[in-house]
Parts: sequence; structure tokens; C-alpha cells
Amino acid sequence: MASEHVVKSFEEELKRLHSLISRMGGIAETQLADAIRAVIDRDSELAAEVVEGDPKVDELEREVDDLALKVLALRQPMAVDLRSILSALKISAELERIADYATNVAKRSIALNQIPPVRPVHAIPRMGQVVKEMIKDVLDAYVTADVDKAVRVWNRDEELDEMYSSLFRELLTYMMEDARNITAATHLLFIAKNIERIGDHATNIAETIYFQVKAVPLREARPKGDASSFTIVKPASAGAAK
Amino acid sequence: MMSESPVPAYAPRAVNGSDTPPPGGRPVLRTTIGTTSTPQQIGKQAMATKIEIKDLRFYYKKYEALKGISLPIYDKRVTAFIGPSGCGKSTLLRVLNRIYQLYPDQRASGEVRFDGRNLLDPKLDLNLLRAKIGMVFQKPTPFPMSIYENIAFGIRLYEKLPQSEMDGRIEQALRRAALWDEVKDKLKQSGLGLSGGQQQRLCIARAVALEPEVLLLDEPASALDPISTLKIEELISELKSDYCIVIVTHNMQQAARAADYTAFMYLGELIEFDETQIIFTNPSKKQTEDYVTGRFG
Repeated sequence: MASEHVVKSFEEELKRLHSLISRMGGIAETQLADAIRAVIDRDSELAAEVVEGDPKVDELEREVDDLALKVLALRQPMAVDLRSILSALKISAELERIADYATNVAKRSIALNQIPPVRPVHAIPRMGQVVKEMIKDVLDAYVTADVDKAVRVWNRDEELDEMYSSLFRELLTYMMEDARNITAATHLLFIAKNIERIGDHATNIAETIYFQVKAVPLREARPKGDASSFTIVKPASAGAAK
Repeated sequence: MMSESPVPAYAPRAVNGSDTPPPGGRPVLRTTIGTTSTPQQIGKQAMATKIEIKDLRFYYKKYEALKGISLPIYDKRVTAFIGPSGCGKSTLLRVLNRIYQLYPDQRASGEVRFDGRNLLDPKLDLNLLRAKIGMVFQKPTPFPMSIYENIAFGIRLYEKLPQSEMDGRIEQALRRAALWDEVKDKLKQSGLGLSGGQQQRLCIARAVALEPEVLLLDEPASALDPISTLKIEELISELKSDYCIVIVTHNMQQAARAADYTAFMYLGELIEFDETQIIFTNPSKKQTEDYVTGRFG
């Protein structure tokens, strides 16, 4: 966007929309980082802060909606402007979901802190690190309109999916070993699932950035690394009986 | 565990079952860029080039107002010319029925093929040309006579019709211009007594009555209120099933709503010509994008 609009107030509205998304992204990123830290450090206070912070993101989403609606109605935007407004609408919805998942991770960490720690929790920091980097990179890609960076995020989701798949199998085995693990393992499973879903939303944002800049959709099917939907674990005794 | 490759879709696998070797390597990302169809590929069977403009140059004395314009104008489609003032869009329209010939010191070079002939050929019969290529101007230009005579006048220049047939032709023209229901009871009243929007539709009826093949509309709605404007646009979309329509407009939204193809012109040059949807959503030239998004200095 080298040249500016003849109508300055239109230019300002588009900039404001852009900065609202950046702010929303910043908050969602922090919420996610804090939620993951709350799980790792068994910090219920931090988790409570995350839960209390969620309405801020919802509020920003409403602000984006209102402004986008106003600009669409009053400016009749075309071409790149139209795409940037559609992108803002879509990305704000994705960020709102990401913050919701972060909140859910925080809530579950509070539950986990009531019971003794379990072994498979070690996978959470690794998954958390990947997803935090994805969110950071995709937000950078949005701010700088960097399509290559967006595509790298898009491709990286496979790694997260694979981590989730293997943790899924590990947790099933762990629950099978001792039924007393089920409460902790189930919460961990949902936490991992939330993180995996956040990765999916990051790829959605990457696709939206691609469309905003290139004006054509990112069509190729995304590589998928999550096999957990097809995974079963047979009790060891059943295998031994054969 | 981390290094495991994804299992193939719909292949359930037991955790402690035997692992099969992964099929192939990692999927590689390939992005397909959406193929934008060229105008030539759209509705190929139904579309014919009505007018072919080739390297058209136009001069007001020594000033070159059109600097080598080439584009096709398709039959039974609406083509819009857009661009800032002085870009040459009205000049281009004026070449298409040689109306510039009314003025000395104005001349055109290049070629405008219409039905196999060069429109710029000085031997061309201009009266016949203008019967085939009708024009409607920015300001409604009804003649100071009755509504009926406004239309009959033009027809009489070319044909001698019995009264009943003339009545039929006039009704038909007024119906085509979506004006009949509003004026059928006052055909003997002066055309000047109609509202601006009605007057403009009367002018369109007058052009249509000659059964032209091409309709040139120069800012046909810019002097009208929004509802009359929409009526003209609706009329354009109905008329295009029978005619080749060319519209010059300052109103980009109007081009977006009414035209199938849009040509963006700037300083006497054709910058971009494509399907209207592409011009307004994903133009290939930066100048076009700047103009349609309101960034033009």
C-alpha cells in the first residue's frame, strides 16, 4: 500500500482496523503463553488471571465487527481494501477462538493442580512452544503482510499435529496402566487438544493473510499430522492372550 | 515417537501393533494460483466481438487524446469505460459513432472494425452508421415536441411507416425503455414535461426505436437521482440481451453494478481491460487498483 487514500478518514479507519487486530493478537498471544505456563508451573493464580482476561478479547472482537461493518457500509471498499476488511473480520474471529482455547487450558490447569502431577505433562511445554511460535509468526506475518512467513506457519501445523497424536497414544497407554491416572490424563488430553486446535486457527489466519495479499486462495490441501482420530489402543493382556 | 510420520488417512492402527513403514515422504506444499479466465474464455459460445478497436489514436488539433487504444467490445454485453477526467473515455465513445466529425480539427487514426468495416473510413454513410450505433448523452436531450413525436421523429428519418405500425414501434420502444406504463396516457404531451429520469429513459427509447445494434451511453445517469439511476441500470441490464452496450461513467460503483467488462483508462491510454469483477477485486495493474480503491492523486 504505497499510496494513500484521497479520503483521509477512510485511510485512518483501515489503519485502526489493522491496529485493533494487532492488539487483539497481542492479548491472545499473552493469554496463551500464560495459560501454558500455568500448566507447567502449576500456577493457579496465573490461570485465574487468564480466565479473567478473556472478556477483553471478546470486547475487541466486537469493536472489530462494528468498525468493519461501518467501513463496508459507508466506504464501499474495493480490491485490496475490501480484502483487508474481510481479513480483519475473519482473523478477529480466529483470535477470539484462540483466546477461548487458552482460557480452557487455564481452567483445566486449575483442576490439574488439585491432584498430583503425572508423567506425560512433559509434552505440554514442547507443544506449547511450537504453538506460541506459530501464533507469534502468523501475527508478524499479518503486520508485515509477509506471505512467505504465513505459508511457513501453515506448514508448521503438521509438526504440532504429530506431537498431539503421539501424546494421545501415550495418555491412552498411561490411563490403561492405572485407572487412577484417568482424571489427570483426561485433563491433559483436553489441554493438548486445545493447543492442537489453536494451531489449526493459526493456519486459518495464515490462509487469510495469503488471500489478503495475493487475492487468490491458498488452495492446496494442508499436510495433516494428526492421526489420533483413527488411533486405538488394545489392552496389553488381549494382545498377550493370542 | 516424534519422528513418526502420519498414518495414511482412514488406516486405524494399534499403538502396540506392528508399525508399517511410512508411505512416501512428507507432503510438499504446492500452491495453486487461481486461474483468472481471460475475457475470451468466458461464455465463449454466446460471445462475439461486435467492435474491434485497433491502435486508435485521436487528436484535438495537435493534442493526442487517445494514444493507441486496442480493445474488443463484445456483443450482448455491457462494457464500461472508467477513469479520471481527461483520460479519454468520452473521446473514445465519441469516436465510436463518429460524432467528433461535427468539429473541425479533430481526427482519428487507427482502426475500428464494426461488422467487417472500418468505422473511421471517410466514405462511410454517417446517417446509416448512427442508426446502427445509437447514443444517449449525460443530460437528457428530449426534443421540444410530444413524447410520441420525440420517438417518431427519428424513425421517420429512416423509414416510412403506416400509422398503425408507427404506433406499434413507439409502444415497443417505450416498453423497452421501461417508460410505457408511466407515459401511455399522455403521449401527446410535451417530452419536456417529464422528470429528469423519465426524460433520460425517453432518450433511450428514442435510440432503441431505430433498432440499433450498439448503444453508447455517455454518463447516462449522472444527472439523475439515485432511484432513477437504478432504473437506468436495470434498463441497461435488460437491454443487453439484444444490444452491445458501451457506457462511460464517472461512478465506479455504477460500472461495478452495470458492466460485464470494464476498461480503465488514464491519460489517453488503456491501462487495463478485463471482466468487471476482476477489475474491482483483483486488478493486475497497480494504477487500476489505486483508482478503484480511491487512492488516485
